[in-house]
Amino acid sequence: MPSAQTSAAPETLPEVLDETPEAGLYELCVLSPVNLSQKEEQTLLSGIEELFAEAEGKLVAKDAWGRRGLAYRIKKQTEGNFVIYYFEVNPQKLKEVDKQLRILPNVLRHLIVKPPKEMLPLIAKGTPVKYSERYEQWIKDQATAVETERREEEGRLQKKVADRAKIQAKRTEVKKKEVQKKVPTSTLEEADLSKKLEELISDDTLGL
Amino acid sequence: MDYRKQRQQQQRADPRLKKCPFCLKEAKVIDYKDYPTIKPFMDYFGNIMKRYYSGLCLKHQKMLKNAIERARFMGMVAYRK
Repeated sequence: MPSAQTSAAPETLPEVLDETPEAGLYELCVLSPVNLSQKEEQTLLSGIEELFAEAEGKLVAKDAWGRRGLAYRIKKQTEGNFVIYYFEVNPQKLKEVDKQLRILPNVLRHLIVKPPKEMLPLIAKGTPVKYSERYEQWIKDQATAVETERREEEGRLQKKVADRAKIQAKRTEVKKKEVQKKVPTSTLEEADLSKKLEELISDDTLGL
Repeated sequence: MDYRKQRQQQQRADPRLKKCPFCLKEAKVIDYKDYPTIKPFMDYFGNIMKRYYSGLCLKHQKMLKNAIERARFMGMVAYRK
């Protein structure tokens, strides 16, 4: 019986070893410095694509974000170029790709991630969610929000000033009315006074 | 009575009663590249907000933590301000 078992084991073992896992879909994010010359950039991009070719992988989709500010300095760089690749490769060769990316010059950071299941169909179609566009849209929205807030603030200030001016105008009007009310009475009195005076002066009986 | 009503309006809602914003949107993934969705769940210093304050469910908090840590490594989000 034991001999039969040992004979059975070698038969199954090679099968397991021969079984190469299917190519998986992966996502690679590469951060490169901004101050590269065009030639250097070209060599970097072609170098990364060569890596996929070497590993017998296939590039499915690519999303270049372009220039973007970094949250902290990396190798004295405050800005970087982000490029995102979606590629199919045999999981066994993934380690080699990662190693080569570590060696590649002009790569500040790189990150290989297995995209979540929900994203797979979109990526397979070649139309992954483009976060760069979303980011730009978000920045625009933010700017417009700030702008509208500023406008509202200005509007509020103007209203305040206008209200104050109105109150001031009302006050002056009230004052004017008071003055106007007073003026006719005084003039009447004055007229009366002058009349009486004239009468007094013209009166000869007093003997002035 | 009026005073009490005013008081109630002024008081903040109980943080424990918040619903998970990702569950409301039925989000299945939180991507590390998606800066606009990640940003509101970090404070000025770059810390991840506590679940108690953000109201996230544990599932989404874990996904968010994963996304933020990846984004930090790639320099999209600060470790510490």
